[in-house]
Amino acid sequence: MIDQLTPPDSKILIKAKKVNKIFPNGCHALKNVSLDIKRGEVVVIIGPSGSGKSTFLRTLNQLESISSGNILLDQVDLTDKRTDINAVRAEVGMVFQSFNLFPHKTALGNVMLAPMKVLKQSKEDAKQGARDLLYRVGLADRMNNYPSRLSGGQQQRVAIARSLAMKPKALLFDEPTSALDPEMVGEVLDVMKELASEGMTMVVVTHEMGFAREVADRVVFMEEGELVLEETPERFFHSEHPRLQRFLGQVL
Amino acid sequence: MQTQSSRWLGHGVYLVIMAILISGVYFAGQKIDYTWHWERLWPYIINTESQDILAVTDGTAKVDNSGHLSITPDYGDDPQIVERYDTLVSRNGDLIFQGDTIARLDGWRFGPIAEGLWVTIKISFISLIFAVLLGVIFGLMRVAHGQVWRNLAVTYVEVIRGTPLLVQIFIVYFFIGTVFDLDRFTAGVAALSIFTGAYVAEIVRAGIQSVPVGQMEAARSLGMNYVQAMAYVIMPQAIKRTLPPLAGQFINLIKDSSLVSVISITDLTKAGREVVSGSFAPFEVWFTVAALYLVVTGGLSLVIQRLEKRLSASD
Repeated sequence: MIDQLTPPDSKILIKAKKVNKIFPNGCHALKNVSLDIKRGEVVVIIGPSGSGKSTFLRTLNQLESISSGNILLDQVDLTDKRTDINAVRAEVGMVFQSFNLFPHKTALGNVMLAPMKVLKQSKEDAKQGARDLLYRVGLADRMNNYPSRLSGGQQQRVAIARSLAMKPKALLFDEPTSALDPEMVGEVLDVMKELASEGMTMVVVTHEMGFAREVADRVVFMEEGELVLEETPERFFHSEHPRLQRFLGQVL
Repeated sequence: MQTQSSRWLGHGVYLVIMAILISGVYFAGQKIDYTWHWERLWPYIINTESQDILAVTDGTAKVDNSGHLSITPDYGDDPQIVERYDTLVSRNGDLIFQGDTIARLDGWRFGPIAEGLWVTIKISFISLIFAVLLGVIFGLMRVAHGQVWRNLAVTYVEVIRGTPLLVQIFIVYFFIGTVFDLDRFTAGVAALSIFTGAYVAEIVRAGIQSVPVGQMEAARSLGMNYVQAMAYVIMPQAIKRTLPPLAGQFINLIKDSSLVSVISITDLTKAGREVVSGSFAPFEVWFTVAALYLVVTGGLSLVIQRLEKRLSASD
């Protein structure tokens, strides 16, 4: 209702307004979280575990439903019952902490599946697209490997290629490097940096402060379900906010 | 780790134990007052005796130059023409009475045990297909979001698993069979598929639930709807995991099919019972019947093992 009154701002791609999430067990995971994400912007969300940052990210493509508030993607209200949520999800990619590659398909098959089934691309087109994407993430020589034959870093890069195959408007990253061995974090972050430089809209939940400092346009700090602070990286990491100071003191 | 030599030793001990067991059975067979007549079984499996062709009415035999045999009946009916025969018993002009052997047909036929085996294979195979259909449908209902579907599936599984198959066969044949006018074979297939379907449904449910939640989330986050995610992501993985328990269930199905003999379907077990009364060789017959069941179940095991191997390419 409110959305039709406010003038549409085409710069804003994702708009979260006063999002509340209360789990059936009574846990109040998100408390009035509001956040605007502009086109081409990279927003990094940090915070202690249990702060609701992953839950918030998952509400952005409705893998998690919300209890109250609104989430708008390109001015389409995701909480509206008439919204085709599958069509919305096809436009918002998601990269998971545990990769979630399809183990019964090769790297190529993983990337091809959704374009063929959801976008109804022909097999040849999907294959060509998948090849290009795997080439882009540096896995040209691994296309026919099953996930079980790939390292964690390679799997996560396939997962990124799989999301990109849907030509999403935005990509959501849920702690993409947390399950990786330290020596593989770099290769995944490099792919993400490249995406950011190409203008992809990205929302990243991560513990990689270096990535936040280097790549983010804005850094968001969440704690106990609240959005505590939202700043540019320079000001963020020099902020005197006591709760942020306490958190950074623990992780750095 | 097992060493090579300890493995061979294991095989050797196994062979010794098996030899002792088998010779035990053999000597027990010798000791009892029983004359073994394995050769009596053959006609009941493959019958090589020539088959008599009988006259249907009284009449006169007529054999023309090219060897065509026909019986011209005494009272004006159409002649009985014998299309095919191997040995001629009657001669041209013979007086024939109804029931006389007029010619013989060589060659072999399947005996009752072979026919029973075929019925067992047929009924098991058809039931297997329907059981898988029912099992997948109810297994999917069991994990569906709608409470109605889940309740329906739970009711089906609990009712069928909680009652004996024998009782179900009687109910399907005498009650449902009467209501819908089913023949015994259809009733047998229905009872077996409904029974096995309940177990398959539980196996399918367990298989689906064993696939990590992240797989469904990944599929949905790519824009697939629930049905697409199930069909292209969840089920292919679930099926691989369900193959070993399914193999066990299918073997049970083949063995359970012996119960349909209670509604007079001449399957392998009923054929065995009939042959026992004809051949007076009960031990031989039951050993043979058991061996034939073993061949069918073993064959199925082999097929599923092959399938498992093929599906494990992604491991």
